[in-house]
Amino acid sequence: MRRLFQSVGLIFLCSMANEASSQVRGVVIYDGAVTELRTPSPFTQSKDLWVTLAELRRATGFVVKPQGVCRNELCFPLPKQRKGDFLVQRGKVTWFNLSEFAGLVNQPIAHDEKLAAWYFGPRPEAQNDYLATLEAPNFTLPDMNRKLHSLSDFRGKKVLLITWASW
Amino acid sequence: MPGWQTFYHELKGKNFEIVSVAQDTGGVKDAGPWIEKANPEYAVLIDEQHLVTKLYSMVNVPTAVWINEQGKIVRSNEVAFIDDRFKSFTHMDAAPYLDGIRDWVAKGERSSFALSEEELRRRLTPVSRDRLMADVEFSLAEYLYHAGHGPEAIPHFKEAQRLAPDNWNYKRQAWLLSDADRDYGTNFTKEVQKLNGKPYYAPRQMPEPASKPD
Repeated sequence: MRRLFQSVGLIFLCSMANEASSQVRGVVIYDGAVTELRTPSPFTQSKDLWVTLAELRRATGFVVKPQGVCRNELCFPLPKQRKGDFLVQRGKVTWFNLSEFAGLVNQPIAHDEKLAAWYFGPRPEAQNDYLATLEAPNFTLPDMNRKLHSLSDFRGKKVLLITWASW
Repeated sequence: MPGWQTFYHELKGKNFEIVSVAQDTGGVKDAGPWIEKANPEYAVLIDEQHLVTKLYSMVNVPTAVWINEQGKIVRSNEVAFIDDRFKSFTHMDAAPYLDGIRDWVAKGERSSFALSEEELRRRLTPVSRDRLMADVEFSLAEYLYHAGHGPEAIPHFKEAQRLAPDNWNYKRQAWLLSDADRDYGTNFTKEVQKLNGKPYYAPRQMPEPASKPD
């Protein structure tokens, strides 16, 4: 999880502009990756973000299992009494409340209602866990020629990391 | 950047690297001309999402972090100018910081500029809920801006600025992407005046160089 958050260097912004917007009911940005939601939702009145299990997997990598909502070795159990807050069956489709789940795992969300865009940030543990090890958070970013470089490529050397801006 | 290239040239034979990262939503369009002009030998990366700002809890540029051979932080966020051109802003000389880097490159852990884990833990603190919320608002704003929704991005940039009022990167970047006075009711000059003598950059806490006469 930490590695995923920290290695996100590029956001793939083009997909939204290229697709016909009529069928897109929303956009999820999760770990920096953009996913369009296209399955017509029965939850049009809800303030929450309900996604199908296929959308959940595509957008976040998480899968609903008996033991909880899991990605690789990471699993978040759903509170037994509140299962209905997260999972709802409509016809043949199981829907998952992704914004409620973010609340459960303390994940910050920014939402633009008009454009139906949802941005999911790192959980506090992911953001803060370098404080335990004092390891410099890794990142992967492109240079002018779009060649990707990771901070970890420079292991074995002393590094002066320095930020600047054109503004 | 030309100054940093000279500095890099001086130290690169001593197992030392500079990793320079532009915090620019405008990407190559905005940062590119600066990089082309300086054309340094060290890596210059372009960070359209201000990822490094978020990961390292930076609030300003230029900000530098020292990282050792094992990938551990040795000194956390500090203002890092190569010369005194902006001294009226920094109220700090560039030279002691650069000498500190030289000392660290020569002596490693034994350098008095390398911070203890205890001191680093004092300086590096967990981010608040507000800060995490500011980051996602800023990120959503950037996404919307890139997706062609510049006007819709503004309320989210504003929310990020409200939640992280000390973060100049979040202010200045947003102002650059539109008309600051029109859309934000302010601008850089006005905001700097509002500081009313408070420092724009956090003062450094560095040991006094031993050779200094006073």
